[in-house]
Amino acid sequence: MGSRLREDAKHFFECFCEVVPPTNDKNAWIIQQFPEKYKDNEVLKAVPNFAYPYKFENNVIQHYSFVLTDLESKWTFGFCRHDPKSETAIVVLSYLPWHQAFYKFLDTTAVLMHSPRSDDLQDFLSSIYNARIADPGRNFIVSFNRGESVFSVEVPRPFQLPSIPENRNLTEYYNAVDINNMIVVFASMLFERRIVFTSKKLKRLSACVQSANDIIYPMNWQHIFIPVLPMTLQDYLLAPMPFLIGVPEEVFHNVRRSEIGDVVILDADANTVESPFDDIDNLPQEVVGSLKKQLRNKSALLGDGVSRAFLRALVQLIGGYRDALSFKLGEKVTFDEARFIETRPASLQPFLRKMLHLQIFQQFIEERLAMLNNGLGFSDEFEMEACRYSEKASSKLKQQYKDWTSSMKKEGTAFFKSVKEKANPAMKSAVKTVKDGGKGMKSAYKGLKSKLKENQPQQPKSAPNSPTGKRRTVPGFSLPGATYRKEMQSFKTAGIESRYSPLYLSSQPVSPDTRDGSRSGSPSLVIPPIDLMSEMKDYFKLNTPPVDRSLKPVRSLENFKSTSSPITSPDHWMFPARSGAPMASPPNRLFLQNLNAQETQNLLQSPDDVFLSPPSVPPRGGPPPKDLFGTEPFVIGGGHAENGDPLFYVANQHSVDIVKLSPPTCSPRRKTTLKFKNIHLKMKSSKVRVFLQSCCVFKLKTITSFLFYVHDYHRVNRLKSLCNQDIDHFMHACIFH
Amino acid sequence: MARDYDHLFKLLIIGDSGVGKSSLLLRFSDNTFTGNYITTIGVDFKIKTVSIDGQKIKLQIWDTAGQERFRTITSTYYRGTHGVIVVYDVTNGESFANVKRWLHEIEQNCDVVNRVLVGNKNDSPEIKVVLTEDAQRFADTMNIQLFETSAKDNLNVEEMFMAVTKLVVRSKLEMKERQSVTQNDTVNLRKTNKSGKKRCC
Repeated sequence: MGSRLREDAKHFFECFCEVVPPTNDKNAWIIQQFPEKYKDNEVLKAVPNFAYPYKFENNVIQHYSFVLTDLESKWTFGFCRHDPKSETAIVVLSYLPWHQAFYKFLDTTAVLMHSPRSDDLQDFLSSIYNARIADPGRNFIVSFNRGESVFSVEVPRPFQLPSIPENRNLTEYYNAVDINNMIVVFASMLFERRIVFTSKKLKRLSACVQSANDIIYPMNWQHIFIPVLPMTLQDYLLAPMPFLIGVPEEVFHNVRRSEIGDVVILDADANTVESPFDDIDNLPQEVVGSLKKQLRNKSALLGDGVSRAFLRALVQLIGGYRDALSFKLGEKVTFDEARFIETRPASLQPFLRKMLHLQIFQQFIEERLAMLNNGLGFSDEFEMEACRYSEKASSKLKQQYKDWTSSMKKEGTAFFKSVKEKANPAMKSAVKTVKDGGKGMKSAYKGLKSKLKENQPQQPKSAPNSPTGKRRTVPGFSLPGATYRKEMQSFKTAGIESRYSPLYLSSQPVSPDTRDGSRSGSPSLVIPPIDLMSEMKDYFKLNTPPVDRSLKPVRSLENFKSTSSPITSPDHWMFPARSGAPMASPPNRLFLQNLNAQETQNLLQSPDDVFLSPPSVPPRGGPPPKDLFGTEPFVIGGGHAENGDPLFYVANQHSVDIVKLSPPTCSPRRKTTLKFKNIHLKMKSSKVRVFLQSCCVFKLKTITSFLFYVHDYHRVNRLKSLCNQDIDHFMHACIFH
Repeated sequence: MARDYDHLFKLLIIGDSGVGKSSLLLRFSDNTFTGNYITTIGVDFKIKTVSIDGQKIKLQIWDTAGQERFRTITSTYYRGTHGVIVVYDVTNGESFANVKRWLHEIEQNCDVVNRVLVGNKNDSPEIKVVLTEDAQRFADTMNIQLFETSAKDNLNVEEMFMAVTKLVVRSKLEMKERQSVTQNDTVNLRKTNKSGKKRCC
């Protein structure tokens, strides 16, 4: 995993120490500690060294932090306070990187150390130690001084970008080091160099090192990380592997530079950088250019401007990692390095090839994959920024699309025509196999799989009656993703703010059964994990003609609107034919193009309001639906296959089907007929969430619309909670009552 | 100040924590008295001076914490080193799987020629799970030497370190020869590599 923070912090701090400075014949030592039971002797031995990294005169109160790294490579932060009026230094060790909070804590402690009541300090430390840490964004409040005083600090939100001036580290870094030098350091980190920061001031030194690491977010420095290097450890500058070390100037003086070898040196006092490398020149110049441009605008740098500028540079470089995620049947999500490179602009490719060999990048990918494979959704500042970036990049394309749509409207052309099963007999029989085996799903699925296998694109035996045997070689066809993704994200940013915090799945997926005893009998099927998307991908690569990829389901849905033929059978299902069901009742919500941002926002942010006055629903006969999605099939999503063919996700009771819309032929007919090939892949409703998530993760670009149709009001909220994160991802889910 | 050695080499020791890297280093090194910094700053090194063919060779062997978290150890990690000692625990199959993956990465992306494979804790046959034949077969395919050692019983440790030292000395000499050949044959427009050290990647 990428993060080097420990996630198991149970206490605000682990240990508080008071350290006596070294004398001529004696090293620094700990005179008292709290709690007494803290027994990590290696750490306790190290603390005095870091509290007095060298002999120094101190005439102002100074805070700084140091970092200890344990055997698992996780960090423990040491926050240190030197006061010229005090003979000792105080240090607090914690797993939490909350600099501001701990400096405040140390200040409070310093006051209490001089309190006439001898037990005040002990009481304070003990109350803080035993208090439960508040949730992110809340205040961690502990009263002390016999209830007369209150210690209160805000618990930082995860993924919050460091801001100036609130974040003391970044403010210090920004004040000490100019923008160009910050970029040099940034570039050096992206080449995983051996990097030394030096300063006379420990405060500045530690702040700069910490900030340099913050600035490569969402990545984390994976190598040696020592924000303050004590004199006794100066030999560690000889380490041959990458490092980021803050060396007090006094210590650095002692070191023979020739022995260290090739290092990048930032002098934070003189604001100079020496580097034997041309790392900036080796970064893609468009990235450096836009970074410089943003950072030149001084007025915009207050707040998180600096952090965001660097974040955007990283988004430009690695934001497209999602395009390279792939699912394989029954396997975990993986990252396809070759695909990652291929899908990036040519100008970035040389650098990105190198980037694959960076530990910081590898661990970033590992971290994201681990979250995906554990079913954790995530949406942090990085992902949000990546979306914004795609949106910007695609605005031109969107305009073209708009023009195209309006001209098409005028012509009134129908876009889709069924090629039906003719296109591929193997498909037909595969579907049949699956359908026949409705009960023995497992084996049926196997059948489908083997059928698909027979049609592996690598094997040059495309169906003889398929008119487009060579279509896989059509240039550009393997990478249709980017445009759809952009399209998708343009919806996403249409006016909805997203939340940062990663979604932690409630351990029990919310299911109707848990709330309604009468439904406890709802049947469920157990199937092995199914990789719908890649399965479909193979399919579509195989036997579909090149289509105009500007055909989007969104567009196609508009066409559906006008038709209303009755539903026949689930396997020959026609989209608009929901027997006058609500699908058609609020058309302005059904079709995303007609949704303005405000409406979408309302829909997403206050579903309750939306459903206060639900659109009228025709009465339904029969008992209430037995499962989350109800008894009748409905479309929960739509998108494109790899090759651009439209497809839809249709939820049946306990199942989600992927329904392929046959590609249009060259002679569009006036009256649209729509037929689906229906591949029936059943899954438990609890699996649906995973499925939705995989859709979202796997192919943001694939999904262009996402519709929910729910029969009763209560189910809406359940569904909401079930796929909460997904809705945020898709941003424009339409929920009907 | 006169140097007390003819050559200085920096080596890396890699492997999961728990395979006995520290014990191997302790067995081998001169400075057994120093603190155990790997638990406080995540990196440690040991020094040993050995003599090969009358030349004093100073070895620094570096170790970092938490390598098992890396599915691959990327080439930047090896960039400044002269050789790599790759250690697994013969009683732990997973530690062997990890080093296999890492060695493949080195093979593909680094120019490190100097590698040895070490199966440590080879002192309790009853709990050994990585068979010598398997490890040897793998070592052969990777074209590297295999040593099965026991830091506890001090078996094969010295031999292993000497073998790796010989490897790095030899490749340095080869590099020098190559350079002098190049210099004699051609007009070198660029300065030669600093001090002609053979470095990875």
